Amino acid sequence: MQPATPLPGTQDLLFEGARRLRRCEAILCERFERAGYAEVIPPAIEAADVFGPEAFRALDRSGKLIALRADFTAQVARIAATRLAGMSPLRLYYRGSIVRRLAPDSGPVYERLQAGCELVGQGGPEADAELLALAASALHALGIKGRISLGSTGYFSALAAAAGASPRLADALNAAVDRKDLPTLRGLCEREVAPGRAREAILMLAQPPRPQTEARELLARAEALAPSEDALQALRGISAALAAARSLGAELEVDLGEVRGLGYYTGIVFNLYAMGSPRPVGGGGRYDTLLGRFGDPRPAVGFSLDLDALVPLAC
Amino acid sequence: MLTIALPKGRLQKPSLDRLARAGVVADEEPGTSRKLIVSAGPSARFVVLKDADVPLYVERGAADLGVCGLDQVLESGADLLTPIDFGFGKCRLCLAAPRGSSVTAEMGRSLRVATKYPRLTSQWFVRRGVPVDLVHLAGSVELAAVSGLTDAIVDLVESGRTLEENGLVVVDELLAVSARLVVNRAAYRLKVEELLPLMEALG
Repeated sequence: MQPATPLPGTQDLLFEGARRLRRCEAILCERFERAGYAEVIPPAIEAADVFGPEAFRALDRSGKLIALRADFTAQVARIAATRLAGMSPLRLYYRGSIVRRLAPDSGPVYERLQAGCELVGQGGPEADAELLALAASALHALGIKGRISLGSTGYFSALAAAAGASPRLADALNAAVDRKDLPTLRGLCEREVAPGRAREAILMLAQPPRPQTEARELLARAEALAPSEDALQALRGISAALAAARSLGAELEVDLGEVRGLGYYTGIVFNLYAMGSPRPVGGGGRYDTLLGRFGDPRPAVGFSLDLDALVPLAC
Repeated sequence: MLTIALPKGRLQKPSLDRLARAGVVADEEPGTSRKLIVSAGPSARFVVLKDADVPLYVERGAADLGVCGLDQVLESGADLLTPIDFGFGKCRLCLAAPRGSSVTAEMGRSLRVATKYPRLTSQWFVRRGVPVDLVHLAGSVELAAVSGLTDAIVDLVESGRTLEENGLVVVDELLAVSARLVVNRAAYRLKVEELLPLMEALG
């Protein structure tokens, strides 16, 4: 007899563990439904090109690459762009597990439980704010006190473009910003970026986050430094989303150095943090080009929650 | 309450000094007793660790922040923030080989390399497209190249005296190392009110 335990990175949920998960899911589903979102249940396997290189892939019998679900958002985008093409706006939610590799194309495989929402066919700050507020209210419904940190990949991309950074340099700058690594960022900027507003603005990205009260001031300083129309537009997008989300009662912090997100994000990105979890408990952002990959270019914004992290914290 | 991961060994004293100047003073000298957790006033405490374990403690949230050499931060692969370079604990991670050997000239062929830093070493060679046969050792890395176990080594070089005494020379530098402040990603957001003043005082 083989001793049989779940693979590392996966787990069995029994009894109280299973009950707690289902209870949290029910709370979230109720919250999402009440906000006008409808559930979609995509398949567990897909054509591999729907996902990125973090997907766990295999060849099927005809030699076609297929993958286990690595990301609900890409699947929802596929559904929205094909079966639901042209129907706007779409408010969709999902729950279930994803399977990923720790490193692209290699590394151990792990499974995670998620739930999340996507708003398809609506650009602009009101849509961003709707999702930010819904994410905040989802945490609240679970009885979890959290913080939402709002940034923008659009702003970083605009700065990197204005600085004339090569893809390799842009990646290095992005990694330094993501790690708040001011010494490395400074070194890179001094060696490889011409002095000017773009450089100043990039250096500002590794500054510590500001509480809400100072967000306006931070954004105003960034606007004064904005080296291009694209950068200015990204900042205005953050300001507008911030104002709209506040009017919906969501507490946010602005961190222009919040650049981490999935590769397809094009505008605002945000991460959710909760006391008791050493890593983000959720995150989201705007992805205005993802549906175009499936033939129906439409703007969209969404978020996902990490239920493995949230369920133990929920009351 | 902030939990600070403090490395044992050569980084301990300069770390304590810097933190003390920023207002975080240990209630008793860590290392004088067998205590693993040492409080530092009402709002902070130290956990005293082997430096290679600091990244893991901070990544997983058992400590909110810590002090750690950049070599250990990167070798661990931990997902951390590294906002401050303290400037002490300076050394270099180097590729070294016996004097007169052909390691540089023959970078084209597969090399046998001994190291305590398998991740950083293989990343460096992969970027250069050089196939490498890694031998992961726990200590006395120089001996590997001297005894003929491997063609070369990757190890920390401080003064270079150990290399010299064993007939080894530096072939290339992989990384400039110094002590870094490492911070947990979630703590950075959730404890920002406590962290910001400390970071300003440290920076």
